[in-house]
Amino acid sequence: MMLSFSTALTLLLSTLVLFLCSMWPAKKKWEPKGQHCYVTGGSSGLGLALAIALTKRGADVSIVARNEERLSEALAQMESYSFSLTDSESSDAALEEASKPHDGILPHAVFLCAGASRPGFFVEEDAKSLQWGMENAYWVQAYTALAYTKRIARDKTAGKIVFVASVLGYMSLIGYSSYAPGKHALRGLAETLRSELLLYDSTVHIMFPGNIDSPGFIEENRTKPRITAEIDSTSKPESPEVLAEGLIHAVQCGDFHITPDILGNIFRSSTIGATPHNNILLDGVYASIGWIGLPFWRRDVDKSVLNHRKEHQDYLEAKGFYSA
Amino acid sequence: MFELSSYNTIALLSISTLLWTFWNMWPSKKWDPRGQHCYVTGGSSGLGLAVAVELTKRGADVSIVARNKERLASALADMEKFRQGSNQVLKCYSYSLTDAEGSSAALEAASQDHGGKQPDAVFLCAGASRPGFFVEEEGDSLRKGMDDSYFVQAYSALAYTKRVVRDKARGKIVFISSLLGYMSMIGYSTYAPGKHALRGLAETLRSELYLYNCSVHIMFPGNIDSPGFVEENRVKPKITLELESTSKPVSPEVLANELIRGVQKGDFHIAPDLLANIFRSSTIGATPHHNILLDGLYATIGWIGLPFWRRDVDSAVLKHRKDHDEYLKAKGFYT
Repeated sequence: MMLSFSTALTLLLSTLVLFLCSMWPAKKKWEPKGQHCYVTGGSSGLGLALAIALTKRGADVSIVARNEERLSEALAQMESYSFSLTDSESSDAALEEASKPHDGILPHAVFLCAGASRPGFFVEEDAKSLQWGMENAYWVQAYTALAYTKRIARDKTAGKIVFVASVLGYMSLIGYSSYAPGKHALRGLAETLRSELLLYDSTVHIMFPGNIDSPGFIEENRTKPRITAEIDSTSKPESPEVLAEGLIHAVQCGDFHITPDILGNIFRSSTIGATPHNNILLDGVYASIGWIGLPFWRRDVDKSVLNHRKEHQDYLEAKGFYSA
Repeated sequence: MFELSSYNTIALLSISTLLWTFWNMWPSKKWDPRGQHCYVTGGSSGLGLAVAVELTKRGADVSIVARNKERLASALADMEKFRQGSNQVLKCYSYSLTDAEGSSAALEAASQDHGGKQPDAVFLCAGASRPGFFVEEEGDSLRKGMDDSYFVQAYSALAYTKRVVRDKARGKIVFISSLLGYMSMIGYSTYAPGKHALRGLAETLRSELYLYNCSVHIMFPGNIDSPGFVEENRVKPKITLELESTSKPVSPEVLANELIRGVQKGDFHIAPDLLANIFRSSTIGATPHHNILLDGLYATIGWIGLPFWRRDVDSAVLKHRKDHDEYLKAKGFYT
């Protein structure tokens, strides 16, 4: 009787403590309402879905992209700016312009959704296409991050930078030699800035989605090698609206690496290194699944590539590669 | 009744040892540099020079590529001291490798001196680092950082792969990344992205080059006791220097040996010390393991230890805020 009473008391107290801990505001949840949010690549795909989701939550939204038509098609309630973001002066200018209607005050958060991918075989790339790849996977976000960080530091205001990488920032496979390096580079930059922006009271986040059901994905599939498309085919592209919701939620929770699906979480936890955990126990489960499962996945991919050798040779032959 | 007599025990142990030795010796044919044409970029100093000298000692034909003609000549003289025979071909080529034309031309020149055949293996040791605070960078300095850490190797890899595939030959590409390709911290915004990018490229090529007879390797060293490191420290922020001060820079000769050993073993990721192995295993993802049990041990150490290390680094950065504010003021950043 005594034992069961003390057991019950212990259980009650533990439950109470756990309940209180989960309610205790760990850090103040970021709220988009009334915040000026700057969204690059905001005229289509993930960027547009995000801009709409932020607008619905009461944020002031500025969207930046190159194509003026697509920008004006995007909802009229947002401010839109046409600038090329693969250029550092232009990225600077875009930020300046977007700050003007806000009395010159910097956006409270920048969501860097701009980017594009053009997969292909490495042997068919050249210096220009590798540079294009790096521009559209990395520079298009890094330049804006630079312009923004300099202003945060100068104005002594707190800021928030959200990069959008890809699962191809956690791993890679055949066909992505112009894209995966840039997405890995974004991780490298985000890791540096998470550390460095502690100097300026500012936070960094980076999302790693898989394929997104967007105009960008359609473009990408035009040039994607068949073998790459085959290996990709097992995963269904995710809707930009679902991703946008997930992104905002994770930014509110203060997650540094943001992975919207189970595969992303497995890769995140399996490559975590010194990156902060989102939940050390759950991450442990993901990492264990990865430890056991990823070698099998990789072996399958390698086998597919080996089986593709003859077809690939015929392809190169037909393209006149050997006679060049 | 079977009794494990001392003779039986000895017999059992001997057979086990013999079996284990044969197992390890069994050729999954170890790559041997002897007689191979090895092309070493950044070969005039630091790690590249140490690799070139070591390959020379092992009887390879070695071509070194870099920009500075004097340093190249002095490096070649160093290599000559270890010449193994009169028909060993040791040469140097002066080219800039941060542009695609230079990288192609250098490879062409080295191939010409070998009857038009491209090298059997390329060791891409070229690279440089210029740390600094992100807020003091410009578009240009970020681009230079990417050129000096990523494109300086990627262009050579591209030129080489195209030739290997065109000639339906065998090939081997060895990239040199850095611990900063596994993680990063304050001060490395021009360098860590490029070193991470190298990992991205290597992972793509490990997969893609299964289409051809070409293997890929990539090493992740920490600080190297080299002229490059001296240069780097000239501009490195004080806080970054402080955070690094606990790790002693390693000699290029030790690293060169680790590199060649890793390539011979057929390791994809080559981690030359304990810390690198901890990071390698903690970020392994879909990358092939060396030894899944040992890697598990490294990963466990990482899982427990790295969050503490990171928290220390973050603490140090937070404490540095006032110093940093004064530094920026002194530099006229706020005006």
